Amino acid sequence: MSGQPRPPPPKPPVVQPGTGNNIIIGPNQRGNPVLEQIKNVGKEFGDIVVDFQVGRTTGVLYLSLRYHRLHPEYIHTRIEKLGYAYNLRILLILCDVTEHKDIIRELTKTCHINNVTIIVAFTLEEAGHYLATFKQFEHKPPDMIKERVDKDYPSILRSALTSINRVNKTDVETLRTTFGSFANIAKTSSDQLQNLPGFGPVKVRNIKNAFDKPFRNNA
Amino acid sequence: MSTLLSFHAAICAKIVDPVQNDLLILAPGLGLRRVLCALMKTYDDKKNLVLLLNATPEEESEIGEELSLIGCRKPGLRTVGYETGSKERQEIYKQGGLISVTSRILVVDILQSDIPTHLITGLLILHAEKVTALALEAFIVRLYRQKNKDGFLKAFTDEPEHITSGFAPLNSIMKELQLKRVHIYARFQADVQDSLKRRRADYVEVSPGMTKAMEDIHHAVIECMTLTLAELKRSNTAIDLDDFNVENAYFRSFELVVRKQLDSVWHKVGPRTKQLVNDLGTLRRLLHYLLTYDALQFHSYLETLIAANTTTQTGGARQHQSPWMVTNAGHIIFDVAKKRCYVMNEVKGARARHVIDVDEDAWDALDEIEGRVGGPGPKNDSTDTKFPPWIPAGMEPILEELPKWSYLAEILQEIEGEIVRQESIVNEQPSGSNTVLVMSSSTRICSLITEFLSSLDPTAPRGAEGRDMMLQKLRLYLWWKGKLSERKRDGKSHFQMPDGRHRDLHQESQSLSEALKRKDKERADRVASRRRVRGGVPSSNTSSRPVVKSEPVDLVRMDGEILDEAHTFADFLTTQSAHDWEILPVSVGGVVVDLASGDVMSEFDDQFGLLPPEQTVLVRAFSDDSDDRMLAEIQPKFIVMFEPNMAFIRRIEVYRATHPGLAVRVYHMTYANSCEEHKFLAGMRREKESFERLIKEHASLPLTFDDPYGSSHTDALVKTISTRAAGGRRDLSKEPSRVIIDVREFRSTLPSLLHAAGLEIIPATLTVGDYILSPDMCVERKSLSDLIASFTSGRLYTQCELMSVHYKQPILLIEFDEDKAFSLEIVSDFKSYVKPTGKYPAKKPGSDSSSAVPSLQSKIVLLLLQFPRVRIIWASSSYETADIFKDLKHNNAEPDTKRAIAIGVDDESEAGAGINASAEELLRCLPGITAKNVHYVMSRVRSVRELCELSLVQVQAILGAEPGKKCWDFMHQGEKPATSHT
Repeated sequence: MSGQPRPPPPKPPVVQPGTGNNIIIGPNQRGNPVLEQIKNVGKEFGDIVVDFQVGRTTGVLYLSLRYHRLHPEYIHTRIEKLGYAYNLRILLILCDVTEHKDIIRELTKTCHINNVTIIVAFTLEEAGHYLATFKQFEHKPPDMIKERVDKDYPSILRSALTSINRVNKTDVETLRTTFGSFANIAKTSSDQLQNLPGFGPVKVRNIKNAFDKPFRNNA
Repeated sequence: MSTLLSFHAAICAKIVDPVQNDLLILAPGLGLRRVLCALMKTYDDKKNLVLLLNATPEEESEIGEELSLIGCRKPGLRTVGYETGSKERQEIYKQGGLISVTSRILVVDILQSDIPTHLITGLLILHAEKVTALALEAFIVRLYRQKNKDGFLKAFTDEPEHITSGFAPLNSIMKELQLKRVHIYARFQADVQDSLKRRRADYVEVSPGMTKAMEDIHHAVIECMTLTLAELKRSNTAIDLDDFNVENAYFRSFELVVRKQLDSVWHKVGPRTKQLVNDLGTLRRLLHYLLTYDALQFHSYLETLIAANTTTQTGGARQHQSPWMVTNAGHIIFDVAKKRCYVMNEVKGARARHVIDVDEDAWDALDEIEGRVGGPGPKNDSTDTKFPPWIPAGMEPILEELPKWSYLAEILQEIEGEIVRQESIVNEQPSGSNTVLVMSSSTRICSLITEFLSSLDPTAPRGAEGRDMMLQKLRLYLWWKGKLSERKRDGKSHFQMPDGRHRDLHQESQSLSEALKRKDKERADRVASRRRVRGGVPSSNTSSRPVVKSEPVDLVRMDGEILDEAHTFADFLTTQSAHDWEILPVSVGGVVVDLASGDVMSEFDDQFGLLPPEQTVLVRAFSDDSDDRMLAEIQPKFIVMFEPNMAFIRRIEVYRATHPGLAVRVYHMTYANSCEEHKFLAGMRREKESFERLIKEHASLPLTFDDPYGSSHTDALVKTISTRAAGGRRDLSKEPSRVIIDVREFRSTLPSLLHAAGLEIIPATLTVGDYILSPDMCVERKSLSDLIASFTSGRLYTQCELMSVHYKQPILLIEFDEDKAFSLEIVSDFKSYVKPTGKYPAKKPGSDSSSAVPSLQSKIVLLLLQFPRVRIIWASSSYETADIFKDLKHNNAEPDTKRAIAIGVDDESEAGAGINASAEELLRCLPGITAKNVHYVMSRVRSVRELCELSLVQVQAILGAEPGKKCWDFMHQGEKPATSHT
């Protein structure tokens, strides 16, 4: 940790004002236009070490790159102050400059050392959306991004076939109506595929590679 | 066969020297392959190790064959593909000779020192026009030159038009390949002229005009294009649209140009602009299809266009359409296209249906059909006076034919006469064969021509020779239309199973169909070859665009019209259903069986159609240099070019020059005043211009001095000074900075850039992560499209889970495309955020990001909440990633290869590059297959196809009872009991 020698402010974790259903906003964020973009969740101000506390263990620092260009030291002092607080520490960057490469690279490094995760938002709306979503999803189970099993036939077929490069949804439909079943598609020859509308040689080769070539060559 | 013309020999002599490195640019059609093969023959020796790079599989086999023809037989050209195991590869490399290698494999082999790089005699690189700084080939050349300064390197291209984009394109290619000499051979080069002009052409130009209807459509399409362009210009004032004109819009590259211009602001342009760009492509295709598709196919294509434009994916009415469709010109297109097919008379109410008793005996039905199908003769007589009974009342088929067809028939007749004449006069040596070669641009047109020729009726009046064929097509079309309406009626999307009623029909007709199939194979075949008629939505899937503008007009009405019509047909169908119409569904459904049984064993057999008088007509599609050999083998005296193709004209020139004493006559068919003609001429002009540009650039090429990599040595030393040692002690660390990279990642450009950035690259097969930066740092790289896809499939969750378990610092790298916008979403679509519609996950963000992106941010949030330790790197390009990696590696220990490979591997150790990633991906998507059992399945079954052929019991034996059943059911859903092969 870079700022280790200096003792962090002796505050115990963070006081939890209110009910815990609101996003707690640090006092220095008053007037930040992003506040207006935080929708569908309650907001309240409170004395916290981060800018936004969007969950019991989640703290967000907010940084506009335009501001960062003027005051490059600001964010470092903020991160330093953070100490070990929060389990998930986010640096929400609003990318509002065109020359973002060097800045983001440098911030990436700093954050990596200090265990902070970067999120880049490209508009105020998006930044607000992130903040709101963090709060909304605080207790949400991760089913949405897990491997799903219960799906209907067409969508499984679609996602399976579109996993092959260059095959699109229309092609899936063409394949299904022409050959009937997945097993039949597996059996078709390149020539047959070539005759279908929208199937060029590359696509056909990709399909044949995926179906016919062995998974592994155990050599 | 390989008689080299004088200019071929001259080229060979110039570039054969194995000390020099050259780039050869040849005009298309002048026989690059000949030169290449002659060159390879001189290098064919066990003592040499010559590698051929960048050849497509087709080229590999063609070159291999050609080499064996000219006498490099033992071992000839050997191929190293991904099927070749790493041991085997090393063996092949050791043996030496000519070897064709896939670039990705060669990179890994060089890095792992599986190939003795310093012993390579030379590299031959095809398709040099595609080499850019980011290409794998450039990486290979860099690696090659690091260890081997003596070997030669020859690059080839016959696509000069591609070397024009960007600043000093020729120079950049030469820089990447580290070449100094270029040889440019255009068609107008003196040597080439000399050897080709000696024999003048017997060249017949045939330019039929388009029919009135076609002209109308053509003009209407052009009008629509102008309109769309104007619209595009209006809505995007910021960008440079100077060369946006209709002429340029004929070319496919035009869309790319437009896209490229818009790419950097793509997230800012509204869906309307995107729609317009898309429309341009559709219209361009329409122009092409107008000349190549038959009237019915064209019409049905238009109908699918409308259908795709009026319904959304969920099946509701779509309010936002392509602007051109609602214009007058658009209306003309649809209207005239329909009139080319048939006219509906207003007798709908009191039409006399041709009702046949549904309960009739199957045998009776069979007889009926037999009687109807069996004799084309009598039917033909009746066509003019009375229409076949299966045509709905009130419908009058027009069935306009493409003008080229009758011209083709005429030409063939003329040729026939000519052959007879020649045979009667000349009794000398028969040089060349009497085979007539008909060339067209695609296999689709080929099969259409074949079909036309085989059902040709020479007695029919002009322009109606193909009536039989067209009637057949009409019949199929009617069936298709009925099907279309069925779907519409259900009010669901296009993506659904045929409904129950239809299924019943299938079963009911099963016995009938079996008999029919046997009795009427020929006919089934014909239907089979035409099943594309019912091929769904056009490939540019416009229907995924979001609804923004609401303008419920014309189109809906138009669609309604189509629908009405479709209903009528469908009604008509049901009345006749048990009797006649089943044949079609059955034969279409049975296509798989029929085809598998050998009908379409290969396209080739299809294309050899025999015409009555001992004269053979061979219909083929233009292909690449293999056409040269085909010409040499067949030695045709008569060639009909159904469509213009510059490269092929040159091939004929070369063919003629290599076969003196052979009188070749060429018929060249182009529609007058069509986009075809224009495209041909403009293409020729563009090629000439690009050559001129190349020659100019060549003249002003900057001088480069030898050894551009001499300085790298000292660089490497400085880089290895460790900064970890305290007090700035300048010790040399023992090992250079290195990154372990998963072999599957070598398809991307990042490894090449990391290498260029001075990191040592170690390829390995990793189970967890893509890049290992330090013992604690593991990176999973996702491009934007990957990210969306793997969120949807849930793979990312699993990957993050694994990374978190095995590494202290798991990192997710989100990499944006360099020339695309550095942004996650499209501003105008932001509003739809509130309720995420994750229903139809998009695969490619470019084409339809709108439907997927809304939930992308939420998914990232969810992922972070689940895995608080996962860090995210946001890189705006691969270059940026390389820099960030270097930053992160700073002050960290080097990763251990053995450990990285061992992490997460359960049981099997996988071999080198021998991974079929796409097959694995496909397998993972199947139900019943999870991340846990996928490896086991792969060890039990060789390929997905094999899995499909297993019986239920066998699948269950692998996956277990419940998942096995699920998987098997999935694979065989939609099959009829009779056709399912278990």
